[in-house]
Amino acid sequence: MSTDTHAAANRPSALATLIRNPLAGVFVALTAIFAVSAIISPYFMTAYNLSVIARGVAFVGLVTIAQSSLMILGELDLSLGTIGGLCGVVSGMLMVQAGLPWGVALVLALMLGMALGLLNGFLVTALGLHSLVLTIGTAGIYGGAILVLTKGVAITGIPEGIQFLGRGDVLGMPVPFLIMLLVLAVALFLTTRTPIGRYMYAIGNNAAAARMLGIRVDRIRLLVFTLAGGLAALAGMLMVARLGTAQPSIGQAWVLAPIAASVIGGVATTGGVGSPLGAIFGAGIIAIIENIIVLFGVSPYWQGVVSGAIVVLAISFDALSRRYLRRDGA
Amino acid sequence: MNKFAMSLAGLAMAMPLGAGAQEAPGTATKDSYRFLIVPKVVHPWFDKVNEGAEMAAAALEAQTGADIEIVYSAPQAADVVQQVQIVESAISTRPDGIAIDLLDPSGNRASLEAAQSQDIPLVIFDSVPPEGMDIPYIGSDFCEQAKMASRRLVEVLGGEGEVAIMMGVPTAPNHSIRAECHREVFAEHEGITVVAEGIDNDSIEVAQQQAAAIMQANPNLKGWVASDAAGPIGIGQAIIEAGKEGEVTLVGLDNLPEMLDMIRSGVADSSSASQPELQGYWSVMLLWAQATGAPVPDYLDTGNAFLTQENVDG
Repeated sequence: MSTDTHAAANRPSALATLIRNPLAGVFVALTAIFAVSAIISPYFMTAYNLSVIARGVAFVGLVTIAQSSLMILGELDLSLGTIGGLCGVVSGMLMVQAGLPWGVALVLALMLGMALGLLNGFLVTALGLHSLVLTIGTAGIYGGAILVLTKGVAITGIPEGIQFLGRGDVLGMPVPFLIMLLVLAVALFLTTRTPIGRYMYAIGNNAAAARMLGIRVDRIRLLVFTLAGGLAALAGMLMVARLGTAQPSIGQAWVLAPIAASVIGGVATTGGVGSPLGAIFGAGIIAIIENIIVLFGVSPYWQGVVSGAIVVLAISFDALSRRYLRRDGA
Repeated sequence: MNKFAMSLAGLAMAMPLGAGAQEAPGTATKDSYRFLIVPKVVHPWFDKVNEGAEMAAAALEAQTGADIEIVYSAPQAADVVQQVQIVESAISTRPDGIAIDLLDPSGNRASLEAAQSQDIPLVIFDSVPPEGMDIPYIGSDFCEQAKMASRRLVEVLGGEGEVAIMMGVPTAPNHSIRAECHREVFAEHEGITVVAEGIDNDSIEVAQQQAAAIMQANPNLKGWVASDAAGPIGIGQAIIEAGKEGEVTLVGLDNLPEMLDMIRSGVADSSSASQPELQGYWSVMLLWAQATGAPVPDYLDTGNAFLTQENVDG
């Protein structure tokens, strides 16, 4: 047998490479849930329903990209939901009460989100606090600010111009979903094709070792916290555009869901492992579960049990497939 | 006139009648109907709405022989985003009608427009439609319900004293209307001062926390009214925990079992109650009527009841 033939024989097949991909488990779980839903519900595969799912995943997806990037770094930001809500409300006030053009309000609210994210990052790095603990506090502050500004009452009269960003479609796809895909592409480029991405994984694996290697750990942390705040703000403003009002409740559902989506998607809470793409697959699983619960008319008192059981099944499937792959690779 | 001419004349006379019978309002029939009930949140008050809806379904099944399915789909939290997602997902299943209690008319508008664009009949219960949208709605007179409660409180207090209002979900039209009508009644009496307003977001736990803090900050507070069903239950718990039974008067809202117990035990003086079972019953009836092509009224008033120790078990 020649050397070339021997090498070819040892080279893993395309299928084996695909199976060994860390995203394979969650992708198969997502595909399985999608296929089962399509088979058992005649309504699932309609264009309208797929559009509803895509639009739903877009908002929580943006926050999931932000949270999973922080988790890769070994951090957690529990205030992302309230940053989104606060920036949504502020953008509404800027448009309706200050009369600013929606483009200007959007930029200002984005800057506010980035500033709040930067503040979180600064407090984490300067005080040496764990981000989980610190952001419990800042979430309370930002959430309280929403109530102070709105007194609990939604801001109505949002200009119709911005509503296209939340309600509109391009080529049959919801605009917020397309924006989320664009952000995901940028996040994947950042995490896989740039030194910043490599530094994020290095810090998440071992921050002390990364520092010894000369990586500016605090600077990377500040950058990711700032970008995460900006993404949460973007999600909040797109939700304002979708509803046509700035609701004080925006962001309430973006605290645990993005963490759950990230974990389902294979992002480790301890840092250094995972990808925003896997996290979006996880968000997709959650969005489909929420959709089929309504399609099947599941009793509201059983919804938590059903959705929780499906999530446990999805995570178990992913964990079992990883164990199988490790054994296969050994 | 020969037979052929007679037949033509008969056919000509019969055609308009036949065509008219097909197009007559309320004559379209189906073997089965599926109606969706979407409340504000998982909540015992809405369970009573659902009971009324099931009652109507049973009545229609008995009378028409058609299968009537009621799908009850509630947001896990009083969050308009969740409610919109439920309605949008439900539209995909092409139901024969959707009855919904709106968390926020502006926030719900797009999903209601989506349903209308697909010719799905709509009914709004316990709330009012978004401005400019032609949707039949059902409920009691929210303002009158609130005024019955606040007038009673003024009467019990002898027209003097500090009072507080629990506002429910501020963006919900029925809650905000009730809160405003409470204020109107209190403003008519110089001796009554509104010293605090709380927001409980239709949560008993939040209402209890808010009420406890407000009573702590206002030791001379003499009375409470509420704008939602959860509010007075939380207020009552806070009154018990503060040991202020008999000292602070509570006039509640609606007829949840805990509210009735508080009236029986004397923690609450009384309650001004809407009738959720009737709202659920007539929501289904109006959806069914629309599905058959029948005209329906713009508004249907299910009335209010005033409950005291004398009639609470009556």
